Amino acid sequence: MSAVEKPSNSGFALQDIRVLDFTWIHAGPSATRILADQGAEVIKVESNNALAVVGGPSSATARGLGQRHNWNAGKRSISLDMKTPQGVAIAKRLVAVSDVVAENFSGRVMTGWGMDYESIRRVKPDLVMLSMSGFGRTGPWKDRVSYGQTLQAWSGFTELTGFPNTDPCGPASAYSDAVGGMAGAQAVLLALIHRARTGQGQWIDLSQFEVLSSLLDTLVLDLSANGADSHNQRTGNRPPHASVAPHGAYRCQGDDRWVAISVLTENEWESLTGAMGHPPWAQDERFATASGRSHHSEELDALLETWTTEHSAEGVMHLLQDAGIPAGVVQTGADLAENDPHLKERGFFRQILDGQGISRTIEGAPYKLSRTPGGPSRGAPEFGADQTYVLREILGMSDEELADCAIAGVFE
Amino acid sequence: MGLSPLSQDPKDINSSIGQQPLTGVRVLDLSGPMGVYCGKLMADMGADVIKIEPPGGDPMREIGPFAPDGVHPESSLHWLHFNTNKRSITLDIADPQGAGLLSRISRQAGVVLETFPPGYLDTLGLSYSHLSQGNPGLIYASLTPFGQTGPYKNFKATDLTGFAMGGYMYVTGRPDTPPTRLWGYQAYHTTSNRAFIAILLALYHRMTTGEGQYIDVSMQEAVAATTEHVNTVYNYTGEPAVRCGFRHGGQFVATWRCKDGFVSITTNTQQAWDDLRDWMAREGMAGDLSSEKFNDRFILRGELSEHIEGLIQAWALTHTRQEITEWGQSRHHPWGPAVRPDEILDNEQLWERGYFIESEALHPGENMVYPGAPYNLSQSPWQLRHPAPQVGQHNQEIYCGDLGLPVEELDALSSQGVI
Repeated sequence: MSAVEKPSNSGFALQDIRVLDFTWIHAGPSATRILADQGAEVIKVESNNALAVVGGPSSATARGLGQRHNWNAGKRSISLDMKTPQGVAIAKRLVAVSDVVAENFSGRVMTGWGMDYESIRRVKPDLVMLSMSGFGRTGPWKDRVSYGQTLQAWSGFTELTGFPNTDPCGPASAYSDAVGGMAGAQAVLLALIHRARTGQGQWIDLSQFEVLSSLLDTLVLDLSANGADSHNQRTGNRPPHASVAPHGAYRCQGDDRWVAISVLTENEWESLTGAMGHPPWAQDERFATASGRSHHSEELDALLETWTTEHSAEGVMHLLQDAGIPAGVVQTGADLAENDPHLKERGFFRQILDGQGISRTIEGAPYKLSRTPGGPSRGAPEFGADQTYVLREILGMSDEELADCAIAGVFE
Repeated sequence: MGLSPLSQDPKDINSSIGQQPLTGVRVLDLSGPMGVYCGKLMADMGADVIKIEPPGGDPMREIGPFAPDGVHPESSLHWLHFNTNKRSITLDIADPQGAGLLSRISRQAGVVLETFPPGYLDTLGLSYSHLSQGNPGLIYASLTPFGQTGPYKNFKATDLTGFAMGGYMYVTGRPDTPPTRLWGYQAYHTTSNRAFIAILLALYHRMTTGEGQYIDVSMQEAVAATTEHVNTVYNYTGEPAVRCGFRHGGQFVATWRCKDGFVSITTNTQQAWDDLRDWMAREGMAGDLSSEKFNDRFILRGELSEHIEGLIQAWALTHTRQEITEWGQSRHHPWGPAVRPDEILDNEQLWERGYFIESEALHPGENMVYPGAPYNLSQSPWQLRHPAPQVGQHNQEIYCGDLGLPVEELDALSSQGVI
């Protein structure tokens, strides 16, 4: 490939950026984690008196704990009760020394605190503010309530995901939040680039519903251009709008072990039959052409599975890859973490110490930048771990001020 | 060296007011299906993205569906969707003359986007180290199934197998079906989405330092970082997450069959669970769910889940999507209908917010609606400036205009099949 140059002096792209982060649950924290990984100073504003969780995924369950560590690595945390006037005043002082404010509350929350974009841009005129919400901050549905799964249903993803002859299953998890997080990071970076070129800040109104809708490929064009002649439906593991087979997940030896095989070309089909040792069924004239294979895909899938079930998923993958066919193990969480030598060599998972000195496993960034590799500088913060740094060092608050606030319950 | 996109030059700053965030950034888009959405994201945000097509046209133009005027390279809706705002030139980069031309064009480029197998462009003299020699600010993003290093770096993959190797497929689907992909090409798009983030980081870094860099994006890792729960569940419980069918990760978020389709009901709070049971009870369909032993909403995850699901399913069948959605939303519960693909254009919120772009000007006489901005930037917004280009539509403009190739040479290269 290429000569890789040495990392830049800093190794981070966003070292001059400070983010005041009010986001919680999944989409918001995963967006700001992306920024923190590249050196942005992300300060989570949390409160024991906030909704059920403290500014991030709940750590009440093992899964929630994992998400808290995964999406908040590299950040700092202060505890600040925004229901107190002093809390809001401190937040505004932090806005004045920040570049980005991020939030994903329902529409009334920031306004209720006097922290909407129009109000806080007075404190920091070139501020970039990211407001993430289910349906956006305007329009007749702006106050509707949604989880990722709600948006997936409403966008069409749920109806479209699954097999044609079964009920729809939809994505297994909150794809909506994951893409919302990516889009949030993109939007902030675009706004920072615009600010660097023009000096101008701006407000980002990010509707996770629109992010998700923009991933529906040709659906909108097709419906508008072809109306009733458009055919968009569940296609299981086969690609929409293409007649190819075999193309799916095939059972292998072992308990719930599968391999995904994707045959798109005539060459790949011939290589596949060769790799299987030319079984007699593969010579069947029904399978001689791509359209024949597509037309008889169910029979073909069943016959192919008689072969795959005699092998391990890893064995099929290696055999077919050696023959130049796209094939991959349907990997489980255990495969990713323990068994995949490739992810291990690339260092996808990272171990990082949390605030208590416990080593935590988190995901790394899925890209490698040669000059600014970045990476989380610390584990996810304990709740309120950075009061001293943020309030004394950044804001220069005095002992007296801090004591008054503490008595008034501002740091609860 | 030609354009200096996103430089710190104050003249640039003045000239870019009111422009899109990436106006002035020239991108060479050599990508196939895995990267084409990344090119679109850049183009829609203002970049001058030049799609390099092989002579005769990009194979993507053969992918349907097609516009009503028939199947031909300019009517692929797949092409039209993923190449908005781009320009097109044709070029055989495997030909030494073609590679030489690409190298020349790249001197004016800020970003190269490519999805070839690792090492391929190096053999043509078009690797990052080749192209960055005269252009140290170049950002060069390689999107591949497994990245540029590691034992699987030469493995082939498609959207399907990328989804499998990234860990998202195993958990999607029902316990009694094979593992299932998400609809569409979401593994490719996730790779593009991640690559776009990396490119924006590199652009920002270049603005502050002038340095370009090389970016290695792996589809497998892009998918693995997008599953929400697969890695955290395993790494923090020691047990792999499994397929849960219509239930979200086995939790209290589920999709139910109802009178006219499917509906998503989330009992994410105690209030939602109590409200649902009350409604069912009022209609005489709650069975024993009103009894105290069902008070804890997390019971949906336990041994009684099958019993509870039976009752909820029987009740849901007596209502429409709209009834359940409105009732839930009026109580601030995140419930909503599973919209069918043929209903997508009926969405009043998307119309009201200007998400759908009706483009009579772009496609005269055709009723074409484009999906719009993934997010709204108040000062430097997403724009649909022009539709996807025709094959080689900008050959003359770029080869003769920008590179200064005489028209006769362009003609000669065309007849040799290089352009």
